[in-house]
Amino acid sequence: MKAVIFDSGVLINMSLNGFFYILEPLRKISECKFFITKQVKYEIVDRPSKIPRFELGALRIKDLIDKKIIEMPDILGITDKEISEKTNYFMDKANRLVQVNGRWIEIVSEGEMSCLALSSILSERSFENLIGVDERTTRILAENPREIEKVISNKIHQTTKMVKSDLSEFYKFKFIRTSEILYSAFKLGLIGIKDSRALEACLYASKFSGASISFDEINILKRL
Amino acid sequence: MFIEKDEVEHQINVLKSAKEALLEKNSLVLTELSDQTLHCALKYQNSGSMTMAVVLYSLSKIIERKGYQKIKGWDSLIKKINSLFDLTIKSLEDGNQEAYEDYLMRVRKTLESNAGNLKPIIHDILRKASINKAAKIYEHGISLERTAKMLGITQWELTDYTAQKNYNYPVIDSKLKTKERAFMALEFFRKK
Repeated sequence: MKAVIFDSGVLINMSLNGFFYILEPLRKISECKFFITKQVKYEIVDRPSKIPRFELGALRIKDLIDKKIIEMPDILGITDKEISEKTNYFMDKANRLVQVNGRWIEIVSEGEMSCLALSSILSERSFENLIGVDERTTRILAENPREIEKVISNKIHQTTKMVKSDLSEFYKFKFIRTSEILYSAFKLGLIGIKDSRALEACLYASKFSGASISFDEINILKRL
Repeated sequence: MFIEKDEVEHQINVLKSAKEALLEKNSLVLTELSDQTLHCALKYQNSGSMTMAVVLYSLSKIIERKGYQKIKGWDSLIKKINSLFDLTIKSLEDGNQEAYEDYLMRVRKTLESNAGNLKPIIHDILRKASINKAAKIYEHGISLERTAKMLGITQWELTDYTAQKNYNYPVIDSKLKTKERAFMALEFFRKK
């Protein structure tokens, strides 16, 4: 069994660009499940549904949940407690990584780490899974944590120190962005726009709605 | 002590300079002071520094756009704000975190409640200032959700703003190259 765990950014991105229509066919073709955690749901449905400007976006995501296109992990018997415990574990690790002048810098929050927690639980249950995350910090944390220190120290101009810590647990996570989801949907014929520029248009749209992808990367994807 | 001594001195200097800049209606200095506060906000991630950065930036925008000309009793409003800044300085000197955060929050509320018919505009300026400061913190390597929480805004607002900024993310030298990630995704979705 396969699963994709969505962080807030990917669903916000797809909502802003009107790409939710690809989720159902993508799920059917790949026979995988799409999940969000309770923490992510709070950020993208519960809280914004009380803000007029974002109410429609929040309701669109709620509709996907109501239709079971996106599901909550409890359908697999995974409890909130299990996710919360692992979330706290990963938060502690990530937020005890970088120091500025001797003070810990909290770099991540519950929503992002709950995605890692769920991925970890799914892997333990032999679910092949990917994490859909658009923002760069969570992804770099697992793929090249040294970059986090670089980004912070380049901007803050103060003594920044990366604490030696065992991050091997972070290395096992696999991340994709909205850009790769749209790339896959395009290759699988799900975008439904018959124009030679459709792929690049999708990639630019994902970039301008929050995916941390560079123009160089877009050029690479366009040529694939 | 909630923030270190050198940072306390720095914040006191920022507040003193802000008082002068307000009297001189110097928006450039206020913007600069707001940016300086941001580093402290990032380091301590405390609500006081965040509020200070947002309030100073908002005041700079009101002055820059000559909004103060439309606010009845602007001079007495600035007097009130400067008095609250004095109390903030005192609380910093006393090491009283609660009072420090409370006075800064009162500056924000005073600004909103004394804006007369410009109240919705001031409210909007404060909201946009929070988003602007959040975007700057996000550039410092803090995650999107963490940043949004620090500034009390939603990820929708922050995504909307940062995306419009057309930030060209550097290619991170990660274990997974662009091509491999795309193929990994496609293979994942393709195979049953």
